[in-house]
Amino acid sequence: MAKKWGLRVRNWMAQKMDLPQDVMMDLPRITMIGQIHIYIENHRGLITFTDKELRLLLKQGQLQIRGNSFVIKTILPEEILLEGKIDQVLYINENPGGTK
Amino acid sequence: MKNQWIEFLSGKVTVRVSGRGIERFLNVLIRNGLNIWNVKRHGTETVTFTMRLADALKIRKYAREKECSITFLKRAGMPFLFKRLLKNSGFIGGAILFLLIIMFLSNVIWGIEIKGAKPATEYQIRKELDKMGVKIGKVQFFVDNVEGIQRNLTNNIGNLTWVGVELKGTTYHLQVVEKKEPEKPEQLAPRNLVAKKKAVISSMFVETGQKKVDINDHVQPGQVLVSGVIGKEGQTQQVAAVGEVWGETWYRSHVELPLETNFFVFNGQEKRKHSIILGNLEIPIWGFGEPEFKEYESDKNVKSIHFLKWELPISIGNETLRAREEVTRTYTKKEAEKIAIDLAKNKIKNEVDEEAIIKDEKILHKELKNGKVILDIHFKIIENIAVGQPIPKETPE
Repeated sequence: MAKKWGLRVRNWMAQKMDLPQDVMMDLPRITMIGQIHIYIENHRGLITFTDKELRLLLKQGQLQIRGNSFVIKTILPEEILLEGKIDQVLYINENPGGTK
Repeated sequence: MKNQWIEFLSGKVTVRVSGRGIERFLNVLIRNGLNIWNVKRHGTETVTFTMRLADALKIRKYAREKECSITFLKRAGMPFLFKRLLKNSGFIGGAILFLLIIMFLSNVIWGIEIKGAKPATEYQIRKELDKMGVKIGKVQFFVDNVEGIQRNLTNNIGNLTWVGVELKGTTYHLQVVEKKEPEKPEQLAPRNLVAKKKAVISSMFVETGQKKVDINDHVQPGQVLVSGVIGKEGQTQQVAAVGEVWGETWYRSHVELPLETNFFVFNGQEKRKHSIILGNLEIPIWGFGEPEFKEYESDKNVKSIHFLKWELPISIGNETLRAREEVTRTYTKKEAEKIAIDLAKNKIKNEVDEEAIIKDEKILHKELKNGKVILDIHFKIIENIAVGQPIPKETPE
């Protein structure tokens, strides 16, 4: 409950103080240049990397990028620049699955 | 993007990682602050990426923890270039040596050019330069500077008004102005002019001295023509008699000229042979076989090869074979006579002075015998017959 509260406060602050959401909320910031480049900030590490798929861990959930001939041009602790032909960018939300 | 050039300077390595859990391995690397880029997947268990050379050694530690095997594929950048440069240091050494040699050689005197000097003065200048150490093959460092050379030359060589020394590259150019001294008049001892052969005086030109003969006088060899003793009786003075006395002299010459002569001429055909001579062994290298002409004269030239100052036992021989033909020249009697006279004239001209004039020629005797024209010719020649003869020193009274 306390965690949710914190989230709400931050969301409210971002809205009311006109601050960028990614800074406040630790959300990924994704910049795409056409289909060839994708630049993701605020990720939490690699999960999968093949030349057809890139999966990144986010603070909440995962980000899946599909396409082909992927090359990671740069990778830093919180940033990644991917090059290739990008077809899909997909958010995979944490499946609360266990709830019954 | 990062600046690839800086990475090039510090050196970069391409790494191949294979094994399981490569993504986790990459995460570990990134979190530990290692820079990686150009990550590519090859198949299911292999990834290649590029990283800094400085980070490359640290990677092993993480790899061991993650059970990945690592291979270094490609090395690029300055450190590796430098390494290769060291490995090929012979080339660098050669290049440096080359530059040093060029530098050394460009400081050597390669030529001395002297302009505006007579051969005698030039020789003197060269000797003086030799003494100063300015010689072909000497190093310029150990030689006096241009002003010094100039000063030295003007001081040490008397007949130089001015000498300009200029150093152009490796050659000294010397511009010389010589002193122009008036020619000293010939000092003549008191003398008479006497006749050198029998003659009839045709003209006289006396500069100094007392004339003793007249035109149309017949003189004998040794007769005084112009006396060096001048002045009135009792007040005589001895001088060197100067003058020209032209007299008519006579020569007789005998010429024989065959009407038919055989001699050889070259017809222009030739064959060249080249060979290398090693001691006594001669190896032909060009121009084989016998020439296609029968009569020939051969002309052989042998040039020995030198190495520095030693003569090598190898020499190069050139042989030229020139075809010759026999030619017969035939004169008619008239032609033969004319040519015989010309021959005689030439012979006479060789005997007398250059200034002498052939005044008249007369054929005394003409004969045709054994296919030969035989002529006796009488020449009348006008020449300078005066020669100096010192006046014997008279004991003073």
